[in-house]
Amino acid sequence: MSDLETTHDDCGCEEYNALSRRQFLAGAAGGSMAAVAAYHPAWLPKVVLAETYASSRDVMLSVFMRGGADGLSLCVPFADPDYYLSRSTIAVPRPDATGATKGIALDNFFAFPQALAALIPAFTASDLLVVHATGQLNNSRSHFDAQRYMEVGKPNDPALVTGWLGRHLASSPPVRSTAPLRALGLSAGLQKTLVGGPKTLPIANPANFALGGSAATVDARLAFLQADYAAATPPMQANALDATNTVALLKQINISAYKPANGAVYPNTGFGNALKSVAALIKADVGIEAAQVDVGGWDTHSAQDPLAGSMYRTMLDFGNALGAFYADVLQGPTPSGVTAVAVSEFGRNVRENGSNGTDHGRGTVMFAMGKHIAGGRVMVNSWPGLAKANLDSGQDLKVTIDYRDILAEIVKNRLGNTNLDFVFPGWSPTMRGATR
Amino acid sequence: MSTAASSQAPESCVTPASITAEPVDESPGRGREPTTRRTLLAFGAAATAAVLLPGAASAQSTRRRPAPPKKGDFNSIIPNEVPVAPVEWASDTTRLLRRITMGTTDVEVALAKRYGFRGYLERQLQFQYVDDSVADTFVATKYPLLAMPADQLFAQNSGTIQNQLSQMTLYRAAFSSRQLYERMVEFWSDHFNISFNKVGYLKAVDDRDVIRKHALGNFRDLLFASAKSAAMMLYLDQNQSRAGAPNENYAREIMELHTLGVDGGYSQNDVAELSRVLTGWTIAGRGNFSFNPAIHDWKAKTVLGVTIPAGAVAMGAAGIQEGEQMINVLLDHPSTGKFIALKMLRWFLSYDPTQAQIDAVAAEYTRTQGDIKAMIRATLNSAWLRTAPMKLKRPFHYVASALRSAHPTVTGVAGMNGQLNNVGQPLFVWETPDGYPDKVEYWAGNILPRWTFGNTLAAQSAGEIIIDIALFQKGNTADATIATIDARVFGGEMDAALRASLTAYLKAGTYNAARIRETLALAFSANSFQWY
Repeated sequence: MSDLETTHDDCGCEEYNALSRRQFLAGAAGGSMAAVAAYHPAWLPKVVLAETYASSRDVMLSVFMRGGADGLSLCVPFADPDYYLSRSTIAVPRPDATGATKGIALDNFFAFPQALAALIPAFTASDLLVVHATGQLNNSRSHFDAQRYMEVGKPNDPALVTGWLGRHLASSPPVRSTAPLRALGLSAGLQKTLVGGPKTLPIANPANFALGGSAATVDARLAFLQADYAAATPPMQANALDATNTVALLKQINISAYKPANGAVYPNTGFGNALKSVAALIKADVGIEAAQVDVGGWDTHSAQDPLAGSMYRTMLDFGNALGAFYADVLQGPTPSGVTAVAVSEFGRNVRENGSNGTDHGRGTVMFAMGKHIAGGRVMVNSWPGLAKANLDSGQDLKVTIDYRDILAEIVKNRLGNTNLDFVFPGWSPTMRGATR
Repeated sequence: MSTAASSQAPESCVTPASITAEPVDESPGRGREPTTRRTLLAFGAAATAAVLLPGAASAQSTRRRPAPPKKGDFNSIIPNEVPVAPVEWASDTTRLLRRITMGTTDVEVALAKRYGFRGYLERQLQFQYVDDSVADTFVATKYPLLAMPADQLFAQNSGTIQNQLSQMTLYRAAFSSRQLYERMVEFWSDHFNISFNKVGYLKAVDDRDVIRKHALGNFRDLLFASAKSAAMMLYLDQNQSRAGAPNENYAREIMELHTLGVDGGYSQNDVAELSRVLTGWTIAGRGNFSFNPAIHDWKAKTVLGVTIPAGAVAMGAAGIQEGEQMINVLLDHPSTGKFIALKMLRWFLSYDPTQAQIDAVAAEYTRTQGDIKAMIRATLNSAWLRTAPMKLKRPFHYVASALRSAHPTVTGVAGMNGQLNNVGQPLFVWETPDGYPDKVEYWAGNILPRWTFGNTLAAQSAGEIIIDIALFQKGNTADATIATIDARVFGGEMDAALRASLTAYLKAGTYNAARIRETLALAFSANSFQWY
């Protein structure tokens, strides 16, 4: 018990310490249930799980930036002179410029915009990796084709309907066999990335996942529905059963009352609240292995303005929410490791258009964050350059790193799944040192 | 790489990649095949059923229960079964009714059976002859802003407009007698998706003057109306596009989403060229279409092999003809008929229509020059319907169908409109121009919110939606109540297994209003009510 108390005192966040599952179980093993109860957090009042678990596999937070995120605003190649020549009204000023809107240098070539200032601590701690001039081989400039093939994880195969993360889950044993829910999409509908995953549901708001109606009959009604949907076809059948079991799970966790660790403050936005819910579920340690969260607003055809306008606000929300997740989950003690990634279907034209925006392009950035991510740098595979002669189709940043290389390395090294030819069919990934 | 950058450019951190190599498809013949639609969720479904449902399965489930895979053997191929309708769904006419309405009611089934298959379809197609005065009066009284011209609407509160538009749409979907028309309004609202969040009051104008005006008319008129809709131009940045600085957004989506389809045979260069053709198409005033010759690109352009010769700004308003010519090229392109046919077949008949079906409906498009009614007639024939797999109701469809079956007294749908958010499909706020998905794998996991909604609806006993439980208590026995639910909720074709389980649930408690409402909620929640 002294360990518990010591940790408790050391940490600024009493809520968090109390719920570390290994400590909880250690306490239980010591035989003092009363003492254990004293460390049961208020927002996690009833969870008592029989199965012990010490996994080396990370929980995966997968973020999709929908709309085609402009990598040249998210990670600014300020030392490439063609950047400023191409972006006369929507460039982020060099880090050595004057004024509050200047970039924040990541090295002698790339900078974050001020909107991503909240990600600097993770970058400085070498826990945040930015991969630049990345994307997919599929050169579609259609949002929907490009998103689809990126989420599926194999370009140009319309017969493949499952997503890469769904297939990862389908090809690895559950971290906890009794877990009713292995993965969730913070969405009203299941994102393509997760399709195919067992015990995987879209749950738009995990804080409010209940059947409703009379408490006296709720169990009988859930039993009715379980039996009724046992005759349904897949995927309805499994989803309904998972839903009834997840009702029981989430009833135990008071997500609304969750208090982030380390003073982290999630923005009160759709994305911020989604990450906060994911954090609560991860710390509840109930066997969640993956969460898919979408963030929109990246389709900046007009009035892009990364310094104060729409792109600024979208990036600010993105950076603040992921920054809070970093402080809350990755910097604090957590029952399991966590890796986060963020991708987008394509980047945008290097040259701005006549509406102070940018049209659909190709290469962009992706992010990976975690204690075992080899971060603190911008990974490039030789910067292809922004001079017109070096652009894809004369207009776009080239794709020099297939996003699947990064994901596959994480799937293998952090999610403990060696079935890479199943997760990314037909792709032989190059291990690029994204993990450590 | 530019020389200026090269001195500072970061070194490659990895060995040169095989990035440009074409991916090798290694899957055929290998031990593990990527999961396709046929094996979708097989692993998870089997595992879940085996692990979590000991004893919960009734006898009916065994016919669909796949064998559990061997441990760790994720390669197990378990066919994803096509959701076949219950044997009780035996009537051609009710089969048609399920496809062309927002849901069955006892009254509608009786009406359809009186008209017969062809008569009922024709009656729904000739919607202007179907009396809808009750709904019209309700809408005119409750949602007066929706009748305003754009230049008056612009001055109204945006939130009020959005509420009136959404509530009107839900009200008409649930209670209009012109049910096929409402199904087509929903179809085109996705095909020509516009998010209210980006365009505000103009969406209400588009809904009235584009979508509803042409929902069962001619696709050519519909496309032209959409192309000249201020809402669409604002939504896809067309109003920002000008000579020397074209914006490709609308030019891309009119080809990809509105006409040819993504594989319809256009290139990125066609997108760029069409965006030049359409420069000058913009918005005037508070929401009128206008062609502005001063910002039109008068140089020569070539789209889909059709060259438009250079013109001059002196040609003035005549420059609009370039865009109109190209829209006609799109309308006449063989890919367009096929793409609209595919989407219509998916909407009414099957997620995976056959090529023969697509060709047949596309032929009607060509023959009639885009007559929407003719395409629907070709899509909804009894032979195809008999073998069509069930389709999953999307959340909006689900809510509307439950409202129809509940047959409530309605004085407003503000609360029910709020429920659309809970079930995952609030109206007119899908951000991207592809519209709300219509795929089983997208919506199938979102099942709990439907059950919660079923509870909420069945419990309505006061306020703007009132379900008179006496209607369901006729006969005053459990069996009579189940018969009423069968007629109202399942069109008289409730499947035997559900009849047995609902009856058992109702009889397991005291026969009273509360228990009947719970039973009604379970009927709305049951698997077979989610499909059509």
